[in-house]
Amino acid sequence: MPQLASQPSADLSAAVPRDGLPRPGRIPGNQAIWVGIFSEMSEFGIMFLAFFIAKAHYPVLFLEGPTRLNTTAGLVNTLVLLSSSYFVAKAMVAIRQERRRDCVRWLWAAIGAAVAYLVVKYIEYEWNSAHGISIDTNSFFAVYYYMTFNHLLHVGWGGGAILWAIMRLKMGAYSADDHEGLEAVAVYWHMIDLAWIVMFPLVYVLR
Amino acid sequence: MKRLYQSLDVLWLLLMGMTLGTTAVAENAHPGLWMTVVVAVVVGIKGRLVVDHFMELRTARAPIRHLMNAYFYVFPTLIVLASLYPERLKEWTTL
Repeated sequence: MPQLASQPSADLSAAVPRDGLPRPGRIPGNQAIWVGIFSEMSEFGIMFLAFFIAKAHYPVLFLEGPTRLNTTAGLVNTLVLLSSSYFVAKAMVAIRQERRRDCVRWLWAAIGAAVAYLVVKYIEYEWNSAHGISIDTNSFFAVYYYMTFNHLLHVGWGGGAILWAIMRLKMGAYSADDHEGLEAVAVYWHMIDLAWIVMFPLVYVLR
Repeated sequence: MKRLYQSLDVLWLLLMGMTLGTTAVAENAHPGLWMTVVVAVVVGIKGRLVVDHFMELRTARAPIRHLMNAYFYVFPTLIVLASLYPERLKEWTTL
């Protein structure tokens, strides 16, 4: 993307309008975070392809597998992650309007959602164990554990990045005119939500 | 300002409703191609909504916006194709 390479980073957050809307034609966050996001989306994409292939080879296991999972846990985590994306979007509007305290509050709400996701995932894995489900059960559950645990790790370090952004905000690092770092954390977090939007129906819903 | 805030609220409720609705239908309906198509379409719509509005890419540079949106055309399509042609996929991926 030659256009991206020619964009000076100092210009990324310049002249931000105070109406809460991002500046048109910009690169949200910075170029480095987009290299990371496209790498991660490719990684999740390869996992989804592996899922399709494994399902074609073991159709009976992949028909029966989702019926043994705790769909409620998957559904709750979907609602929690979508809500966390909403909280982060609200935080971005707040910082662009120089409402720093509101921005911090919305980011804490996102942290709450991340913690809720991790707690639900722990309960779900415990529930699986109690029902005799493990990574060795069959091919469906091997793929299920690989995909969902990988996603769980992303939620963990994505939550850590939001905590870092809160700390930086409290140190006065971001403002309406300069919030490139915060925006990078925000778009990375949305990427984690996007991966789950595909993963949830694949693993829990479709037969 | 107020309109932007309210549109995020409406979008959040819409995403919640779509998630609850499709899960309820999929859990109670007989598995089949039409259900797969419905779920794939909803995945595409939800992905586009998050990319455009929460990720705020609708006004961002075209290469980033197009690549992210393409993801939510390609994978819903693959979900349907994998459901339609499992035997061919198995044949292509058998070593």
